Amino acid sequence: MARDIDRRNFLKLAGTAAGAAAVAGCSGGEETPTEGDGGDGGDGGGGGGDGGDGGDTGTETGTPLPEPETRVGYLERANRLLHEEAPWIFLNRQYSVYGKSTDVDWEARRDERIDGYAIEPTGDTDTVQITQSAMDSGLDPHDHRETPTDNIVLQAYEGLLSRDREGKVIQELATGYERLEAGRVRFELRSGVSFHSGDSLTKEDVAFSINRIVDPEVGGLDSPQSDQLAGVTGAEPADGDSAVIVESEGINPIVFALFATYCDVMNKSWVESNDEAYINTHMNGTGPFQLADYEQDVSVTFEAYGDYWKDGAPADELVITAASEASTRVNQLVSGETDVIVNVPPQNISQVDQADNAEISAVPSTRIIYNAMIYDREPFDSVEFRRAMNYAVDLESIVESVLSGFGDGTGQPTLEGFTGYNSELDPYPHDPEEAERLVEESGYAGAEIELHTPNGRYLKDLEIAQAVVGYIDDLENVSASVNQRDFGNLTDVLLDGDITTGPAFYLIGWGNATFDASQTIIPLLTSDGALTSYKNERVDELINEAQSMGGGETGTDS
Amino acid sequence: MGRFLARRALQGLAVVLGVVTVVFLLRYVTPGSPVDFIAPLDASQATRRRIAENLGLNRPLYVQYVDYVADLLTGDMGYSYRSRTPVRPRVLAKVPATLELALAATFVAVVLSIPLGVVSATHRHGPADYGATLFSLVGISTPNFWLGVMLVIVFAVQFDVFPTSTRPVGLLDALGNLVVIAGPQQGYAAPLDVSGFLADLRSWLLYITLPAITLGTYFTALITRLTRSGMLDQLGQGYVRAARAKGLPETLVRYRHALRNTLIPVITVVGLQMGTLVGGAVITEAVFDWPGLGTLVIDAIGNRDWPLIQGCLVVIGIGFVVVNIVVDALYATLDPQVMD
Repeated sequence: MARDIDRRNFLKLAGTAAGAAAVAGCSGGEETPTEGDGGDGGDGGGGGGDGGDGGDTGTETGTPLPEPETRVGYLERANRLLHEEAPWIFLNRQYSVYGKSTDVDWEARRDERIDGYAIEPTGDTDTVQITQSAMDSGLDPHDHRETPTDNIVLQAYEGLLSRDREGKVIQELATGYERLEAGRVRFELRSGVSFHSGDSLTKEDVAFSINRIVDPEVGGLDSPQSDQLAGVTGAEPADGDSAVIVESEGINPIVFALFATYCDVMNKSWVESNDEAYINTHMNGTGPFQLADYEQDVSVTFEAYGDYWKDGAPADELVITAASEASTRVNQLVSGETDVIVNVPPQNISQVDQADNAEISAVPSTRIIYNAMIYDREPFDSVEFRRAMNYAVDLESIVESVLSGFGDGTGQPTLEGFTGYNSELDPYPHDPEEAERLVEESGYAGAEIELHTPNGRYLKDLEIAQAVVGYIDDLENVSASVNQRDFGNLTDVLLDGDITTGPAFYLIGWGNATFDASQTIIPLLTSDGALTSYKNERVDELINEAQSMGGGETGTDS
Repeated sequence: MGRFLARRALQGLAVVLGVVTVVFLLRYVTPGSPVDFIAPLDASQATRRRIAENLGLNRPLYVQYVDYVADLLTGDMGYSYRSRTPVRPRVLAKVPATLELALAATFVAVVLSIPLGVVSATHRHGPADYGATLFSLVGISTPNFWLGVMLVIVFAVQFDVFPTSTRPVGLLDALGNLVVIAGPQQGYAAPLDVSGFLADLRSWLLYITLPAITLGTYFTALITRLTRSGMLDQLGQGYVRAARAKGLPETLVRYRHALRNTLIPVITVVGLQMGTLVGGAVITEAVFDWPGLGTLVIDAIGNRDWPLIQGCLVVIGIGFVVVNIVVDALYATLDPQVMD
């Protein structure tokens, strides 16, 4: 016990010093108010963490900086704080690595979606074939939330807004959108849009589609996308013209980003007159392709929709199949049996590159891979120790050797290109000496830690974990090992709502298709996050501020 | 014979019930709640609870079990958690592909291995024997996964003789061309589509060759060795010497007498292995993207789609039991002593 008390006192001092150093090292800085408990100890477990938090704020000598003026400013500041507090070993952003045949013209998108409309056949046939790693979980666009199904439904269904290849929000079925006031936004609808059944798109269809997701009472569906449209409470057709008003709880700053990712528009009368099984095996959207043939678990065949509101799709026919084995997909591609394949693993990249009828198309994805360190568990309750872990790892060489260069090192939870990304922060450099020094400073020299990792859930997850542990184990004063876990078993303990049941140190991935920092930080790093590993009042406060400000987005076709 | 088979069938039923029970209990000892695989990672606790309730996961275990068995008896295998579609048609749709593959692999194995084993035994310590033994050794030591990938790279990618994977047409589809549908609506004159049959059959053969060879190789090696040792054993028996002493031609001694007795244990092993093939073709199915039960069960396990996993395993279990009963019947025909 005596050791604990000593450590706490020490941390109080160290925390202050680290805070000063942190402020000195950054132009944005953190303001002075001594929020948080600035190192007053707390109980044995939390003491270190709180001491660390003091590092952010305990700069009695620093000049108070003004509060940020914009939402982006708050998010950037939260990212800076998280970078300094190192609640994770920041690892890498994943790349989506596709293989494509030379018979098609297509560039990969950043949100992991494959838009058949953007694939242009240049070879002999007008049929395009895509091979994914899994088939759909049903064709109801509101009844799923995973990439393989997205990739199938998006060919036939469309939302109000969408994204371009870079992730920027663009109009789709809406021709304009504006924030009327806090909690109310208005979408103008495109005219001349028809469903594959021939019905014209109406504002009732749009309002119904939104309500079907957010309200289990409408349409008899418990939509897994309801959490994705978080904050949205309902929608109603606007008076007169062709428009819809969407209501949210509070200001909902990312409402347009959410609608650009989810909420496909369905035909109200079609949904109401068909049962669940039918809706899951048939399609009636407004998109460029209509369903021609559906063989569950085997293939989905689409044909171009003649009355599409834009120019018709370049391909007449689009076939989507799946092969779970990566080498099978690669062989299908190089033997000319398919045109686009997903998830080419690093070991197969040269096979595709060397084939004369295929090439690699890679793009940074929206997924981040990180090692969470639970903030109140020894030795991770010490911010020095957590920072040490970041210094210990040679991220560049992991990206090069394990991921064959198809990844980017990160130093904050938000990825480049996302709203709130702080461009002043670089990944921690590889500095084992600094790491050893910080471990000494943390008082946890000699610690033994175990990294829990799934195997096969993310690209090279186990290999990344082994490399990380290898670097940490190379430190003189820490030893580390890997514990391979079944993914389901691991998520079970992470998702049970009790932070104390899970491992203290684990590798996991997180995709965020909204391109907004809040959708990573809120669930993963705020006190009440569904999958949180970290509690810090200052982070909560910065995020609360950010979420209470509108992004001020509007957009029109012009 | 009838009583013998009835007894076997009853035993088979007990085994199926056992399989159902084990498979049902498996989900409760397997870590990872199905809810984790249905709900997004950041779903709220309320959403997760609602999903569990909708799936009936909050009911007592015995209630779920009794319901499950009662539903199974009526042929209802429940609804897939992931796609919310009925399990039975999905699982049954995969049976032909898996059966075809198991039969084709067995065919490859039997056609290759029995002659190899016989030649090996009758030319003991000769070059043919050493050749066959080497073949068995290589066959047994080659993992299916590797062999499959190599065959694809060489014969599909490099030389482009066979397609790499999938199965666009099944044997039953091909045979469907030969079925003449006669009835008032068809005007009693639905044509026999021989050319359609030949085209489908050709396509089917092209697609099934590599998977069948992959799956059959290990099996071939095993039966070659079994045939060889069985044959050697039989050739050393008194009745063979007696037959030779009576002046029977050597071919008749070997193939009529010795081989027939050798085949009894071989058939047992072939039968048992076929059962294994029905359920164990998982890796081969994955490599060749073969739309069978193996692929389905692997996907279902990946998603913790328990009704689907259970459906697949129950069907595989029933398949195993049926194959065993058929083997027993054959065995009894060849060697009536086993019925005692």
